[in-house]
Amino acid sequence: MNKRWLAALVATGALIALAAFGAAARSSGSQSGGTFRIGTSSRIDSLNPYVAFNQDAYNTFEYVYPFLIQYDKSNSRFVSDFATSWKPSNGGKTWTFKTRAHAVWDDGKPLTAKDAAWTINTDLKYASGGAANAAGLVAHIKKASAPNATTLVIKYSKAPGNVLGQFQQLAILPQHVWTKFTAHKGNDLKTYSNSPLVGAGPFKLVKFKKNDIALFQRNDSFYGEKPKADGFGLRMFSNEDTLVAALKAHEIDAIESVPGTAIKTLRKSFNIRTAPGVDQTDFIINSNTKKTSHRELLNAKVKEAMSHAVDRKQIIKVVFLGYAKPASTIIPPATGAWHNPSLKPEKFDLALANKLLDQAGFKKGKGGIRVAGGRKMSYAVITPTDVPSTNRTFQILQPDFRNIGINLTQRALDSTAAFDAMTAPDNKYLKFDLALWDWVGLIDPDFMLSVVTCAQYGGWSDSGYCNQRYDKMYSQQQLTPNQAKRKQVVWKMQKYLYAQKPYIWLAAQDAVWAVSKSWGGLVPSPQGPFNSINKLSLTRVHQQ
Amino acid sequence: MRGADYIVKRIVFALLTVFVAITINFALFRLAPGSAVTNLARVPHATPETRLAIKRQFGLDKSKWQQYWIYLGQLFRGNLGVSFANSQPVSSNLRTALINTLPMVLIGTVFAIVLGTLTGVIAAWRRGTKTEGASVTTALAFYSMPTHWLGLMLVILFAGVLPTGGMSNEFLLNPSFSTHVKDLAEHIALPSLTLGLVLYGEYTLIVRSAMLETLGEDYILTARAKGFRAGAILRRHALRNAMLPIATLIALSLGYIVAGAILVETVFSWPGIGRAVYDAVLQRDYPMLQGAFLLLTVSVVFFNLVADLLYFKLDPRITT
Repeated sequence: MNKRWLAALVATGALIALAAFGAAARSSGSQSGGTFRIGTSSRIDSLNPYVAFNQDAYNTFEYVYPFLIQYDKSNSRFVSDFATSWKPSNGGKTWTFKTRAHAVWDDGKPLTAKDAAWTINTDLKYASGGAANAAGLVAHIKKASAPNATTLVIKYSKAPGNVLGQFQQLAILPQHVWTKFTAHKGNDLKTYSNSPLVGAGPFKLVKFKKNDIALFQRNDSFYGEKPKADGFGLRMFSNEDTLVAALKAHEIDAIESVPGTAIKTLRKSFNIRTAPGVDQTDFIINSNTKKTSHRELLNAKVKEAMSHAVDRKQIIKVVFLGYAKPASTIIPPATGAWHNPSLKPEKFDLALANKLLDQAGFKKGKGGIRVAGGRKMSYAVITPTDVPSTNRTFQILQPDFRNIGINLTQRALDSTAAFDAMTAPDNKYLKFDLALWDWVGLIDPDFMLSVVTCAQYGGWSDSGYCNQRYDKMYSQQQLTPNQAKRKQVVWKMQKYLYAQKPYIWLAAQDAVWAVSKSWGGLVPSPQGPFNSINKLSLTRVHQQ
Repeated sequence: MRGADYIVKRIVFALLTVFVAITINFALFRLAPGSAVTNLARVPHATPETRLAIKRQFGLDKSKWQQYWIYLGQLFRGNLGVSFANSQPVSSNLRTALINTLPMVLIGTVFAIVLGTLTGVIAAWRRGTKTEGASVTTALAFYSMPTHWLGLMLVILFAGVLPTGGMSNEFLLNPSFSTHVKDLAEHIALPSLTLGLVLYGEYTLIVRSAMLETLGEDYILTARAKGFRAGAILRRHALRNAMLPIATLIALSLGYIVAGAILVETVFSWPGIGRAVYDAVLQRDYPMLQGAFLLLTVSVVFFNLVADLLYFKLDPRITT
């Protein structure tokens, strides 16, 4: 029996049983041919900006909501979005944005600077409640106002250094829709399902089924560059093999992030595109100075020795199949000028690593394992099960570390349990020694630099690192409006962390996507073709 | 009156089971390492105040006992709570996932019951022949196959002929009723077939075993001696008396339908309840987990109760 006969047999059986079900679930889609269909193994967890967590949700907001500014196509310079120009005054404590005239929301209501002022003031008012997700983006703001429909004035308590970086991430919401959901101290902001979604971006969300599909249609009344395609769709897959099979079967036109193992087979029939990414894998060393056991891990020589026992070339070859670069600092090269290029990855040199450990006085004991403080230098490495690259990375690290007299054992936990094991007990970071994970950074360095501040204990901190000198530098970069001077502080901070080593950075992964040869025009970015960096990629995608 | 006593006892026992399960569900998820706040508070730039606000919002700053009483109170009022993950009512999340899951799992289960019963009866009737060997071997082979592996093999086999995943082609523009039904059928075919093939082996083995037992009884010999036709002997005498274990298995299978089929749903990107529960576990979404497990408990207990009551009908000796 050939495939078609077998398929027909199966389909006929199911057809009969489905006749009744079909009537209830009838749906419509957008015009075929003009809809760019993207497949993803990620998902949009929520349409509510006060609730959403996943990157694909933020990517969606980029295309359906107005933002004051966005990055240009090189992802390095801020350019116009809803704001056409901006100017700081009063020593950087006041920022004035000129916004577009005659812009409208999807429901026909006018979109003005007042919507932007309302969004910022609402985020400020409920920063410790329903708007907690956006609290960091409005830090140091005293008040926003809109003296007229096209002028937005924002007053700060201190002159911040990352105003534009923050506003690139803040979606402007329609006041006439959201103002009804501020009751219960702003907590209603979180419970609103945001459906139907009223936006003003280049695309309108016309259909959303959780864990299944998000369908977008071109918004002809968009104030900016008009999309070339009729629309685009994001199909959410829970399995990477079926995602690849769907592309091969032309059920979709592109894969947002291609699994490394599929690149070779897809290359024959599809365009594979890559860009340096902002996703970096890291080897975390518990650097809490108050930790009670295995305190030798706080020793700079031990950390340095460990960094020389990491074979980054092998990790990139085996784990990422060549689609990554050796990493050296907390700010990846994909962020452009923010990355400090003088900091190079440590050389893989087991002899040097052994020498450093010998110099530190940790002699090899029984079975070739070194002894520190009367205990074997034997550590559990926590690995999150939902970051599959950590398994193979561990397998590469283990034998090399054994050769320098350090025994590593793997402790695989799901990410929630892994993070709790690292912060235990009660966010004091006393119990864990080592972990493997990855960080997906932003273009502006503020967020990545914040994760090692003392304020992030129990929050983003995964290394237990807390250092007053570093925190001072962090505040300094936050409050340096001059971007050239701020860059110098950011470079200094990277150098400081490079020496302190709460992390040994392993690899900066490339963003890799696959596109059907019948589509072109996607704009590359460190987050792939569907991103929250700017509105360019899917606005410019078109059939060839 | 013995029958009435039996029914009342079974119903009281079922209600008690549900209550115990509710309590265990509440405790179980909180015993797992990792907390819900860990996930919820990991948003860019989260401050300690933010984390505290999130804790308060979901009542996680209260003691476990207080949380338990609040949960019971909510349940008593028919409120399953609000999901930590998407801030939507749990009942609404469950309803959507359940509506997606039921047709796929039901078709797969019914397919398994029908095919399994048929092959089980044939295997027993043709005992000692090649037919029995082939039937049992095939059933065992499918029964022992990992579900996700079989699913992936079917995806590879049918790629380009049947859809690889999802519930329907959402890119179709205003399809006609027949086009839409065809599209749904094409999408549901592989996941249901995968589930059905994995499940049917169990039915074959149970039905065969039960049938072999009854086929060895004296009344079958008598029926044969009387010259009844084979079909009549099988249907009226053998299968009917073999129904007890089969009814149990069917009731249990139907009870578990609401749990979805996590592996099948994952392979075929089916947005059903199995995946919803899996996500809730990863996110430590306690209200969602409690709601899903309550639904599963009630379903399993209900169908077990139905099986118990069916026993009473099928075999009156049970009350004595």
